[in-house]
Amino acid sequence: MLAYREKENLIHKLHPLAAVAYITVIILLALLFSHPVYLLGLLLAVGTVIIASGNYREWKPYLLISLGLITVIMLVNAVFVQAGSTVLFNGPRVPVLGKIRITLEAICYGIGMGIRLLVITSVFCFYTYAVHPDKVLKLFSRFGNKSVLAVTLSTRLFPLMIRDVRRITEVQRCRGVKLDTGSRWQRVKNRLPVINVLLLSSLERSWQMAESMQARGYGSGKRTCYTRDLLRPGDYLILFAAVLSLITGIWAARQGWSAYTYYPRLESFKLGELKMAMIIMLALTVPAMLGWGWKKWPLLKSRI
Amino acid sequence: MKKKIFIAIIILTGILLAASVIPGNPLYNVNWALFSPVIIGLAMAAFFWRFEQSGATSKEIALIATMAALAAVSRIPFAAIMSVQPTTFIVMITGYVFGAQTGFMVGAIAALVSNFFLGQGPWTPWQMYCWGLCGVSAALLARVQKGFKLNTFAILAGFWGYLFGWIMNVWHWVGFVYPLTLETFIATYIASFPFDTLHAAGNVVFTILLGKSFYQVLMRFKNRLLVVFEEVKQ
Repeated sequence: MLAYREKENLIHKLHPLAAVAYITVIILLALLFSHPVYLLGLLLAVGTVIIASGNYREWKPYLLISLGLITVIMLVNAVFVQAGSTVLFNGPRVPVLGKIRITLEAICYGIGMGIRLLVITSVFCFYTYAVHPDKVLKLFSRFGNKSVLAVTLSTRLFPLMIRDVRRITEVQRCRGVKLDTGSRWQRVKNRLPVINVLLLSSLERSWQMAESMQARGYGSGKRTCYTRDLLRPGDYLILFAAVLSLITGIWAARQGWSAYTYYPRLESFKLGELKMAMIIMLALTVPAMLGWGWKKWPLLKSRI
Repeated sequence: MKKKIFIAIIILTGILLAASVIPGNPLYNVNWALFSPVIIGLAMAAFFWRFEQSGATSKEIALIATMAALAAVSRIPFAAIMSVQPTTFIVMITGYVFGAQTGFMVGAIAALVSNFFLGQGPWTPWQMYCWGLCGVSAALLARVQKGFKLNTFAILAGFWGYLFGWIMNVWHWVGFVYPLTLETFIATYIASFPFDTLHAAGNVVFTILLGKSFYQVLMRFKNRLLVVFEEVKQ
């Protein structure tokens, strides 16, 4: 049910703090940078880490969907944005939009934003498939245990209720209610009792759940902790790499190196300003490198 | 104490918003794609903070978890037929019966939990916020009228179909559109109009079909939840 699948590699065994820190740093940097080379560096880093975590197959649909979205963004940008001085195409007048004028700068801006979108969707794909949601929730339970408990219970109830929905629909089918034939309106109407029955039975269950919580002494004293995740040397290394790349990124942004002017005329790349992109990319591929080392050398595996 | 922190969060949000539009300070004209989730996060932190401090019992927590899971699951039986789902309606009716706090928590958790299964994304905080506010607004409506009135509830539900899209558009606009001008703003909103209309129509239809029965079931449950102790006079 859950999108997450446990896989036998280092990245899946990371402490949630390291994984969340890594993901946050990438999102922050992706929004901070506008230079296409810097963004491409981030994309390469995330891609390597996703492949190292063995989630290439899950990543592919994300890539395809984002590519479709990028095309849309590029088209909208090219048609609507009139800024830019290198005109590629001078179109006719269209009533609402005015004169259509497609410029190289607008297309390049679309591509730059597309890479940013790709970085962000990829990093969320990484989060969905390589980080266990329960571990992350446990990380947050220090700040608000009631909200986290509600979220955890709800996550647990979700698959249970899906099973309920299937059961109720099957019962309805056995009773001769037509759920798949007839007009669209008829089908919707025939499916409504499913929701009503689901509501009643789940409310009844929530009552029992609350009583069993009460019976186990929920809220009767200070909370205790059953398991604790340990921060291992590998986690520290990744945390360090994430902080390092964040600092480098902020520094590069302050120098104005990671910014890029698209309008009115594309800026030329300056090689000296791009070296920081290299450093950030290398620092952010640390999890992938550690992951490969973890597989190759048992000694390293035992140490981190 | 809890009032103070709540007010502090509101003031902080206001200062941050003001700082981003008043020239002459380091936050002026910040990166909006980065700045807007911070504002949304602060607003949600205020609600979650209130909930943490509220001394909710195990029954309330179980109720919130159940209704949130129900709202998330209800996307499934209808997904095969059409693109509308009763999630917004379920969040709103919960807020209507159980009040603003429960309504917000149910909406926010429903968005979060359904995305555990459908995939998290940068849209998660925005969805959490939108659905949370759906619950809050329905609770405010319940304060001004007695019992369940189909007409006003349906109007609010239909309105939320649009408002939901409009809030989500802000995110899309600051994140991926350039330049941030009135024209691109209007273009983004025109592009989302058909989807919002579908959402609104779905909300109204679900209110008409399920409203009364959901209200009665939830009301009965609420009455069971409330235990009043009275001293026996001898």
